[in-house]
Amino acid sequence: MSQYFKSEREKLETAAEKLLAYATKSGADTAEVCGSYGLKTKISLEKQDYQLASSDDGYSLGVRVLKGHRQGFASCNSTDPAELKEIAIKANEIAGFSPENPHYSIQRAENIPTEAPHNLVDPALTDLSLQTQKDWTRLMVSEATKDKRFRLNEGTVEIGTGLSLLINSLGVRQMEADTIASWSLMGMGVEGNTITSFDYFSELSRKAAATPEKIVLSTRKFVDEVIRNLTTGKSESYKGLVIFTPRAVLDILISSLSYHFNGRAIAENTGRWGLKDRDKTILDSRLTLKDNPWLTDRAGCSSFDREGTPTRPMALIENGVLKNFCLDHYSAHALKLSSSGHAAGGPSSLPTVSTHTLCLSSGNESKASLFTRAQQEQKSFLVVHRYSGQSDPITGDFSGVAKGAEWWANGERKYYVQETLISGNLFEALGKDLVGISHETEVIDSDEESPTLLINNISVTGG
Amino acid sequence: MKPISELLKETLSKSPVWAEARYHRRNSQSVSVQKGLVKQAKSNLTSGVGIRVLVDGAWGFSSTSDLTPQALEKTLKLAIECAKSLSQLKKAKVKKLPSTKLAAGEFKIPGYDVLKQMPFEQKLQAVLKAEELTRKNSNLITSATCLYNELFEDKIVMTTDGANAASQLARNEIKLGAIAYKDGDMAESHESVGKTGSWDCLFSRNSLTQMSDNAAKLAVDLLSAPKIPGGTTTLILSPAMVGLLSHEAIGHTVEADFVLSGSVAQGKLGTQVASPLVTMCDSGTVSGVEHSGGELLVDDEGVITQKTTIIKNGILNSYLHNRESAAIFGVEPTGNGRAWLYYDEPLIRMRNTYIEPGNESLEEIIASTKDGYLIDCPLGGQADATGEFMFGAQKVTKIENGKLTKMFRGATISGQAFEVLSTVDAVSKEFLLDLGSGYCGKGQPAKVDAGGPYVRCQATIGGVQE
Repeated sequence: MSQYFKSEREKLETAAEKLLAYATKSGADTAEVCGSYGLKTKISLEKQDYQLASSDDGYSLGVRVLKGHRQGFASCNSTDPAELKEIAIKANEIAGFSPENPHYSIQRAENIPTEAPHNLVDPALTDLSLQTQKDWTRLMVSEATKDKRFRLNEGTVEIGTGLSLLINSLGVRQMEADTIASWSLMGMGVEGNTITSFDYFSELSRKAAATPEKIVLSTRKFVDEVIRNLTTGKSESYKGLVIFTPRAVLDILISSLSYHFNGRAIAENTGRWGLKDRDKTILDSRLTLKDNPWLTDRAGCSSFDREGTPTRPMALIENGVLKNFCLDHYSAHALKLSSSGHAAGGPSSLPTVSTHTLCLSSGNESKASLFTRAQQEQKSFLVVHRYSGQSDPITGDFSGVAKGAEWWANGERKYYVQETLISGNLFEALGKDLVGISHETEVIDSDEESPTLLINNISVTGG
Repeated sequence: MKPISELLKETLSKSPVWAEARYHRRNSQSVSVQKGLVKQAKSNLTSGVGIRVLVDGAWGFSSTSDLTPQALEKTLKLAIECAKSLSQLKKAKVKKLPSTKLAAGEFKIPGYDVLKQMPFEQKLQAVLKAEELTRKNSNLITSATCLYNELFEDKIVMTTDGANAASQLARNEIKLGAIAYKDGDMAESHESVGKTGSWDCLFSRNSLTQMSDNAAKLAVDLLSAPKIPGGTTTLILSPAMVGLLSHEAIGHTVEADFVLSGSVAQGKLGTQVASPLVTMCDSGTVSGVEHSGGELLVDDEGVITQKTTIIKNGILNSYLHNRESAAIFGVEPTGNGRAWLYYDEPLIRMRNTYIEPGNESLEEIIASTKDGYLIDCPLGGQADATGEFMFGAQKVTKIENGKLTKMFRGATISGQAFEVLSTVDAVSKEFLLDLGSGYCGKGQPAKVDAGGPYVRCQATIGGVQE
């Protein structure tokens, strides 16, 4: 990081220190400043064509102050001292009239562990020319438009470089630089009068050298998935076995399940489980769920969190047993524990709690074997890929449309279905109704990872 | 220091190509309370200028938060550089933008000053009180939340072909949530409202106390409600559900950029796409409705917003346009070019989207329904280019022999929007825009509103299969 972003880093650090000083001068007992600098260039696609090239850079700074147990927060997108002073005063003003909450805290963090991924900067990405970015975009467009049945509705190829900073009046000083190439596409399949649902994907790369190939492969995979949905039919209504592919597992089940590991939910007793449940079996014993912030090829990679606490890989569930919760300082204080480095958010928001990169561990049978088992037990069944619907984390109930789902009958895939609704309950799906877990796993959108699951007692309503 | 309008004018005067400069200053404040504790109380100030140019039929865009003349000039140059670079790749060059009456002058929506003058502390106290009322409404309520957001927007849009509009508006919203618990079972409910205007505008229909009461009662009632059986059936959709249908399932498919990409609405202008009882519009202002959540007088391209009739008596009548798509289709822009912040480029977005009211009363429509459900309290939803949609609803009430009977737990309804609208056989005279607390997502958020009358139709409910 040393030779890159030198002037931006100095400007950000100077502004952050000023803001911290203004905050304490304006009456704060303790204060914390979160800041960022970002520079991005983006080429946007629309309507099967190149639509817009754009560039943007800027700073963002937010200050959290504590006056006793009262908290205030304000932010701006400027390094101008007058504006920094204004938000410092505003944050103190808000703290002045906010009710007390004993769990607000700004704490001293430890140093970043040596194992943490210190270097997220690839100089080749930092110095990338607009011409190379255009070439990469051309690669994506070329791959996406090979099959004339694919309609490219929107897409982007973006190069982002940035700095994240966290300092507080108790001595914490953290800064991290990151460079990312990211690309996304939204499109649909059109053939005659048949139109598929529109689908979306996004991927990222932190290595310039690997980016062109990743763009081509991910675009090809996406277009194939969209086009195959042109062969459509209707599913039957039934209650029984459904195969959840990795994206469906993450979108429908894990996203809601993660609520119950959120320290704030535990502290407020709105989650399903509490501290007393640690080391107890809560889900099927074949399930292991980990949160790993140190995977440098994933979107959620970082070495410190929104409060400056070092991150670390952590098991949430191990062999069905509840092991850990995700805590920030607020929830840790309320639960009389230590932060686990899960404070989330940016300079314009107060810390919340979130996971980094969730990885559901693989099982012990092949994906093919899950299909065979489903065929043996049921004449026909649904394979869910994408989902658009409601998942209530409190009750665990989910209900929504299985988009581009496969309909299997008599041992073979018949077609893809539209307007098919599925409903079930995530606790049952990952508990008594879990039939099998594949040993193959897939990383979705360069972030979370999951195997394929075979689950029973899912309600399927055909259109 | 020169006024920002002067700086914009000077910057544009140096542009050798068509250019648009948009200054945007947003001050937002929000507070959220849960279980009697303030979870967050915060203020945010964001300001900057976005400059868009058109060079050789290609768009370039650049933005800055540095409001000095030097920074603005640099931003203009960067935008031009971007556009020039893209023009080498672009196949379908953007034609000359249509000459239309561009906005000039000041465009203010009432309520900004009143809301600004009201102390933040007073709003925080109201939110604390509302959460407490919700939580203490019943012993079965274990947790309640209340969230308040407000945005103060100041914009100046200037173009080299004549737009020079300064606009000012304030948007606010309040959301209540309740969780009820009994014998190991949990149920959740939400109540929300969003407006463009002052604090009092939020409570023109229900007071904050009534909203608290509604949220708590619904959560408690849902505790004892059974799950719904799935299948295709007769539904009466509430104004909020009609708003979701209009916005998500029809509105997006008629955004001209989606149409050009091949949405289901492509090539269907002038054809029957819905029951003759259906007339659907998207408009910056709605006659007879004040302070709607999506109210907008001028868009971010400097075009005065129009009332656009999307479907007229069941016939597809118009798409929604920005200046670029209007040029492609050879029509007038409809004032749908909107950007979320200064660093976002304008996209085709909706404003207030609704079905126009009919002649029957809700009571009459229920009385003439032998078997079906009344669907209310949306929980969000999505749709895609096919018009296929999925909406969640918290409150589903059975209709048997013309009477409302028992309540079911929330369900998901789905269908193909144009097919569902073709089954509409009753439209109520009661009319409401009821989605003002919502945001539309399309790469960038947008504040919108939607609604309509009660509408009877056929669609699929996703429920439990036995």
